Amino acid sequence: MEMLLMGICFSVFAMGIAAAAFGAAVRPKEAPKAAPEVKAQPAIAPEERFFVSEVTVPTPTGRVTVPVEALMAQLERHVRLEQAAAASFLAEPTSALLHSKTASPFLN
Amino acid sequence: MSKGHFDLLDGIGAEDAERILALGSRVALSSGEELFPLGADADCLFLISHGQISLTLPMKVRDQETDVLVEERTAGQTVGWSGLIPPHRFTLRATAPVETEVVALSRESLEKYFAAHPEAGYKISLNLAAVIGQRLQLFQAMWLREVARMMEHRAA
Repeated sequence: MEMLLMGICFSVFAMGIAAAAFGAAVRPKEAPKAAPEVKAQPAIAPEERFFVSEVTVPTPTGRVTVPVEALMAQLERHVRLEQAAAASFLAEPTSALLHSKTASPFLN
Repeated sequence: MSKGHFDLLDGIGAEDAERILALGSRVALSSGEELFPLGADADCLFLISHGQISLTLPMKVRDQETDVLVEERTAGQTVGWSGLIPPHRFTLRATAPVETEVVALSRESLEKYFAAHPEAGYKISLNLAAVIGQRLQLFQAMWLREVARMMEHRAA
């Protein structure tokens, strides 16, 4: 009888150990601590100013986004300079004046 | 209504000029206000008494429609010649970047006046042709400059 009880005890103990070992084997490995996720941060809305509603931000490609307002100001300057150059040509039509250079930001 | 100096009235006698200006009505524009939109029916032309008018065309820049400056007209100059020239449709948008006043002359009243005073009508037609011609020549030169640059760029 004692031998039987001891056998049962050992069996239960062995089963417990086997169950623990099995549990450890099938438990999914703890995910490694994720590296701090780098989220693409939306550009922080710049403080709106009188003429500029967008600031110049270097992009990952290294190109610089020129604000539309600045681009339009450059275009206006270009048009004015080109008109002045064209008007000089009309006042004195020569080939040199027709193709004179201006300080336009689009051409320099 | 005082005459001031308007390019459209160059060579017109003082009496005729006064009468023509009396046909018009003064329109005050606050800064940023539109005088006429692109494509609108044109039944008036405008003489700028003081201030400035910007003539613009729409352009898409980064999917955003903006008005690009084409020409600036100042006091004494004429805008809106489409009011007298068929098909009577404005080909640019006109706005006042600063406080401005213009004299609006309707086609109907001008045509009546020209019918009764053909000499004045003839001189005004020549002056108007000069305004149109000046723009044509200016843009012709600007276009040629642009083409020359494009050719230079391609050849490089």
